[in-house]
Amino acid sequence: MGLFDAIDASGSGLSAERMRMDVTSENLANAQTTKGADGQPYRRKDVVFQEAGAPGTSFSSVLSSIQGGRSGGAGVTHGVKVAGIVEDQTALKRIYDPGHPDADANGYVTMPNVNTVTEMTDLISSSRAYEANVTAMQTAKTMFTKTLDLLR
Amino acid sequence: MDLFDTTQIGLERALSGSALRQQAIAQNIANVNTPGYRRQDVDFQSALHAAWDEGESSVQRVAPGVQVDQSSVMRADGSSVDIDNEAATQAENGLQYEAISSVMKTRVAILRSAIGGV
Repeated sequence: MGLFDAIDASGSGLSAERMRMDVTSENLANAQTTKGADGQPYRRKDVVFQEAGAPGTSFSSVLSSIQGGRSGGAGVTHGVKVAGIVEDQTALKRIYDPGHPDADANGYVTMPNVNTVTEMTDLISSSRAYEANVTAMQTAKTMFTKTLDLLR
Repeated sequence: MDLFDTTQIGLERALSGSALRQQAIAQNIANVNTPGYRRQDVDFQSALHAAWDEGESSVQRVAPGVQVDQSSVMRADGSSVDIDNEAATQAENGLQYEAISSVMKTRVAILRSAIGGV
């Protein structure tokens, strides 16, 4: 159903961008973590976005498929989804710090491969994308209100 | 004469086409960070324009579809979404929708006063 699908797509964008923001925050929080749960230094995580596939079994999508897409719902897929969270396999940094409890025999500590500048840029990017999704949602809402006005 | 003429039906189809376009734009904005995503758009104007010359029954059957934009990709991740472009298209489409719905509203008001309602 036309505009509700637009709101759904924007909603999926909002949750995907929020997920990216969460992961970026986790990377920043662990920028100095030399020992994770597995005893290894922290590796930065990255979110993989994927275009969401066929419409689900929600009421509106079933209704529009029964109507034969007369409302014009055919062709548009349904937003975005997070396909997975992957670990960045770039090399970990090694710094010389003999006093560190996790230093090896030569006095080197393996630090996470988190670059604060990259994370900050990612954070800004996801925050802006989030805003764009909010604007898209608001436009759809305004349009829908205009349609309801026709009945008044 | 029918209660709703070709113009009114055409306006209804245009409104529905514009709603579909908003859906495509929302989809593009949601996928702004998806690698390899190709932007989509709806050209309901030309479909409607072509049907208009053929008469009322064609206008009634106009069902604009979503087209995937296959133009060249500017970004390194293979996505063809330009967020500024999407924002501009969205503003344009929103105004268009508003214009169509105001015209519809006025026509309904005229009809209503002819019927003798309030």
